[in-house]
This record gives sequence, structure tokens and C-alpha cells, in this order.
Amino acid sequence: MVELHTINWMSERPEQFHMITKEVHQIVEKSSIKNGMVLIVTAHTTTGIMVNEGLPCVETDIADTLDRIAPVDAEYVHAHFLPSYGATGNNSTGHIKSLICGNHCAFPVINGKIVCGGAQDIYIIEFDGPQTRKIYVEIIGE
Amino acid sequence: MIIDMHVHPIYYKAICKDEKEEAFRSEAFGVFKQSPYDYDEIFVEMKYAKVDMAALLPLDVTTTEGGVIVSNEQVAKIAADYPERFIGFASVDPRRSDALEILDYAFSTLKLEGLKLNPAKQHFYPNDKMMDPIYKKCLEYNKPIIFHAGLSWEPNSITEYAHPLKFEEVAVKFPQLRICLAHFAWPFVREMVMLMIKYSNVYTDTSVLYLDSPEESMKRLFTVDMGSLWVDRALHKQIMFGSNGPRFRQFKLLRALEQIPMRETSRDNIYYRNALRFIGREEF
Repeated sequence: MVELHTINWMSERPEQFHMITKEVHQIVEKSSIKNGMVLIVTAHTTTGIMVNEGLPCVETDIADTLDRIAPVDAEYVHAHFLPSYGATGNNSTGHIKSLICGNHCAFPVINGKIVCGGAQDIYIIEFDGPQTRKIYVEIIGE
Repeated sequence: MIIDMHVHPIYYKAICKDEKEEAFRSEAFGVFKQSPYDYDEIFVEMKYAKVDMAALLPLDVTTTEGGVIVSNEQVAKIAADYPERFIGFASVDPRRSDALEILDYAFSTLKLEGLKLNPAKQHFYPNDKMMDPIYKKCLEYNKPIIFHAGLSWEPNSITEYAHPLKFEEVAVKFPQLRICLAHFAWPFVREMVMLMIKYSNVYTDTSVLYLDSPEESMKRLFTVDMGSLWVDRALHKQIMFGSNGPRFRQFKLLRALEQIPMRETSRDNIYYRNALRFIGREEF
């Protein structure tokens, strides 16, 4: 069996960490699927899905490190008019940070609950906000 | 205070009720891969950018393309929903036989605060005598005109119609008519500056991001294409902040403008004072 759920979230800043641990756990616990796995996948190319410890200092260190890898003032080729959008692409930092974070994470589901470590929080990270974002939560099993 | 004088509300959810209309709008305007967004999302972006108000620009392309990209009534509806956040502009296809009646209705009944025209897209020369009654109608109501000027990447748009030199005769014949040649008429920045030096009724806006990052584009505009003191010395009363959303994002252009050295009085003028004067909400 497969169940697909959606979490919608509107970011308020260009870059923002947003924890979705509780929402994902609740979706799994309400599901009729009791054993299998859950996939958490972003629908976007300038956001990331991350599993990490939910501490502000950890968030800050991750954000600072990503900024050093993909600073806003680097000479990105993407900074030009894109006919396929009718807009100028100026969000390469978001694309690169999204690549580093990845677009998904997965957990086992046993007896109707997510199996995970106590420090494992689930985040969507905004890298090109503010805007409304969509996260898919797919439960696969029986 | 910051006023964004150049926003196209084509994806505002409040006016996205019809799929065919949305498809026409997207094709005619040449913006793709974006979805309608509601007021909450609009305001969260304005809040982050510290933008207080935005001028919303429709476009009537009835005789050239058979429709309107956004109608005057739709802009009036949005402006009525949030009058403290939006400044509604009208548009009219100059070749419509009922053009003057449309403007009468837009200014007197819909209470729209200016006119948006795009010579490149609507295929007319601004100095064509056909335009004189429209300019006189704007003067009758004391309404300014924002013209698209310079490069236009909308499909079926011809840049020659929007070359800044085509506007000089308008500035001469109608010295009381406030006109904004948007986008610094890019890439014809020097011609744009020439017009502003000669004619105090000619304005422009900052929505220039055809190449490069916002920081690179603003730096080139304000320190290479123009001398770095030209704004403080001569042009500070004629440049308005404009983003050209949804093509360019407000907060990124403002982030870049913040890095341009200029007197605080010039910055205030660009961010909002010139806009208030342009739309007639502040005395000259």
C-alpha cells in the first residue's frame, strides 16, 4: 500500500530552518499502514530536507557553513535572463544549498511509528524564500 | 517607507479564477513556471523587503493580441481589497475606438491612479498624434503614465517603439504630464539620463536586472552606466524604486540598492518620495 500526504509551509525569509518532525510523526501514526517506510520529499529545487539535531546552534553552524560554500556574492552563471521563466535567475545559492542538503529523507516504520534516534529532527530548509513550499510525505508498506 | 512602483499582479490568486485567462496571461506576458499566490504570500514578501505599497500595472492588448493581460477591473478589485497596500493603475489599448471612454471609467469610477502603456507590446510610437487625446485625458484627471521603455522580452514586442528618444516629443508637448519611462529604458541609460536632465516631468524606475546579480546590475547602473554622483547631483527627484515583480524580486533589488552610496535624501526620494509626487499624492 501507498499513502501520499502533503505538508504546506510558507517561509518568511530568504533562508529559514523549519522543523516538521511532529507533523511527519503524526501523519505516520494516523496512517493505516503499520509497517514499511516513510519518505519525506520536497517539491522544490531551492529547498532542502535535512535530518539533524534540532538545536539553534547546530542550525547556525550549518547555515554558516553553507554560506561559505555558496556565498550570495559569488559569480554565478545562473545570473541572467531565463526565457523559459521570463525572469532573471538569481538564486544559485539556493540551488547549490539544496543540492548539498538533498531533496528527501527516509525512515523505517514499525508498528505504526517512525523508528529513529532521539536527536533526529526533520527539517525543510528554505533557501530562496519567502514563498509557499510543499513537502510530500509518502508511506509505503502494509 | 518604500513604494514599489512596478509590479505586475499576473499571479495574484484574487484574479486567477479562470485557467484559459491564466494561460493567455502567462503566454502574452512571457512568464512561466509560477503558480498563483494569495495575499498572505504577497504580504510576507513585502514585509521582508520592507515595502509598504506597490503599484499594480495591468495591460490592454486587445487589438494586437485579442485580450488583456490584467484588466482595469481586476486591478481595481485588488486595490479595493487592500487600499493601504496597493496603488492601482489602468491600461488601455490606444487603438481601441472606445479608449477615451475606458479611461474616463478607469479614473472616475474605478479610481485608478495612473495609466500603464507598453509601446513595444502594444505596437505604437509614443509620439504618434493618435496618442494626444490619451495624454490630454490623463492631464484632465491629473494622472501620470508609466511607459514600458527599452528592452522588452515579452513575446511580440518591438523595442524600437519603446526607445527613449521616441518619448522626447511627448515631454515637450505635454510638460505638465508626468511620465515614467520604466526600467531606465535599459540598455539606453544615457538617453534616459539625457531626457531626465532636460525634462523634469520625466521619471524612471530601478527595475533593471536583465543580466548579472542584483548587486552587479545596480552597481553597473549607478556607477558605470551613470557617473557615481549623477543621482545626488541631478537625478534624485526623478528615479523611483520599481521591482518589475514577478520577473525580479523586490528584496533582492533593494538589497543591491542599499549597497549603492548616495545621500539619504536621494535614497528617500528613490524609495518613496518621488513615487508620491508622481502619483499626485504629494505637492510639488
